[in-house]
Amino acid sequence: MKLLRAELLKIWTTSTWWVFGIVTLVLWALTTGINWLTASATLDVDTTGMDAETAEQVRVAGEAVNVATNLYTSGQFFGVLMVMLLTAILSTSEYFHQTATTTFLLTPRRETVVLAKLGAGVVFGLLFWVITTVLNLIVTPLILSSLDVGAQLGEGAVWRAILLNGLAYGIWAILGVGAGILIRSQLAATITLSLIYVIGFLGAAIIFQLIGDRFGDWFQNLQVLIPGLASQLMVSGTELPGNPPRWVGAAVLIVYALVAGIVGTIITKKRDIT
Amino acid sequence: MTARSGEIVVSHLTKQYKQLRAVDDLSFTVQPGRVTGFLGPNGAGKTTTLRMMLGLVTPSSGNALFGGVAYKDLDEPIKHVGALLEASGAHKGRTGRNHLRVIATAAGLPASAADEALARVGLTPAAKRKFKGYSLGMKQRLGIAAALLGNPQVLILDEPANGLDPEGIRWMRDLLKALAVQGRTVLVSSHLLAEMQQLADDVVIIAAGKLIRQGPVGEVLGSMGGGAVVRVRTPRPADLAAALTAATGHVTTLPDEALSVTGLDPARIGHIAFTSGIELHELTGEKADLEQVFLQLTAGKADIR
Repeated sequence: MKLLRAELLKIWTTSTWWVFGIVTLVLWALTTGINWLTASATLDVDTTGMDAETAEQVRVAGEAVNVATNLYTSGQFFGVLMVMLLTAILSTSEYFHQTATTTFLLTPRRETVVLAKLGAGVVFGLLFWVITTVLNLIVTPLILSSLDVGAQLGEGAVWRAILLNGLAYGIWAILGVGAGILIRSQLAATITLSLIYVIGFLGAAIIFQLIGDRFGDWFQNLQVLIPGLASQLMVSGTELPGNPPRWVGAAVLIVYALVAGIVGTIITKKRDIT
Repeated sequence: MTARSGEIVVSHLTKQYKQLRAVDDLSFTVQPGRVTGFLGPNGAGKTTTLRMMLGLVTPSSGNALFGGVAYKDLDEPIKHVGALLEASGAHKGRTGRNHLRVIATAAGLPASAADEALARVGLTPAAKRKFKGYSLGMKQRLGIAAALLGNPQVLILDEPANGLDPEGIRWMRDLLKALAVQGRTVLVSSHLLAEMQQLADDVVIIAAGKLIRQGPVGEVLGSMGGGAVVRVRTPRPADLAAALTAATGHVTTLPDEALSVTGLDPARIGHIAFTSGIELHELTGEKADLEQVFLQLTAGKADIR
């Protein structure tokens, strides 16, 4: 417990958290603006000329409740990226600023240090989630009413999506801590994670779009293995036709987080601190 | 577990890297109530030894016990052993006070402990300044504050005099001596021998990862030629050196062509010169200093490995 407090104090006593906070807010505003435009487009899309399957997908996506969940979880794409980078820095800064010596002198049982970092990372991930969610709860009803749609806050699917969004923030925080241990250099970790996240997400989306159909549905369903796509699947409102169920997205992310956390702990225990 | 006493026992500590045996079957003990200098040329394995003692580097074999307990098995280790290993070990963007607060929090100490530690090293005026604005001397002081935070029985400091000005060095010397007088165990590594001679009660000298000599300063000095170094000048240094070496003296040539002799007293040297028919221009007995002993002890072993 005192180690968790120490890790939280480490975050509070440097400027990293509020720099990332501001960046997250800016990106949130941007995403929400885009989602607003998308929402007004998907709510009254014309499905004539599409094949039946696509038309069905578009129709379900255009249902008010699904548009609403998208808006209520707005900011997730960049939000979890920022959380991951922040928690990765929690690990890498120990080596970058040579504080690892002090940290492991205080706590020779290194696995407890990793646990404290995971805990502190999750606390911050959830904090980012709470803030963006509060903002979304304020803004989304306004957007929806401007589109002549109700706030949808009576829908269970909306609240489930919001809660699963929180889970996504927490899991990405864990992924960040683990990744920060694997890639010890601060700069390399930040750049690599950002690139993998953004390019991996876009690249995978494009690849699956281009060649996915050749292999059939089972291959399309492999999309969920891409972490970014998995967390988006988690927060979709109702089941979307042609997509794996939501729990699969959660399971995929949890497996990634477990692997990152366990491998990170083993490496931390073995490494010589010089 | 808690350490039963302040004695440190290092046994057969070895660190084998792929190509290099950085520390080689090193054993020594460090007693409480004394300042022990841990000496060796650069690259001798001092830092690796200290890091193995503190559980940061895994030894290939051997161990180090603090009052019978390995560092990793100590409960709340910083309340038993305080260590300063690298002065630059703080986040650049964190203030000195916050650096200590993080440590205090992790050790379950109140935030006031951080302020007390800052005051003890005279850093209170810089408490709210960020670490990147600290001079090297201030960083060293902050590192010492961190080491003292848990009021430990044992203190281990790696080259603490680095970057300190003469006033800072005197301050450090007085502080460490005072801590030893209180009955604490103080182990200080250094390659600055003049400083050690004024500070240490005992010395542990290593070179190339091996123990060269351990004991009280006076004893280690005395083990070399009865504690005396004799300075001799002669127009025939090579002949005299040969004669003295034959008489089991240890001769080194000084930069001004004079000879520095250990192992023989001035009377004996004078006699040897006389019987060899060698003229002497100077024959001076000098007090041995650690620097010379050290250079002799580690000669030929200090090569870059």
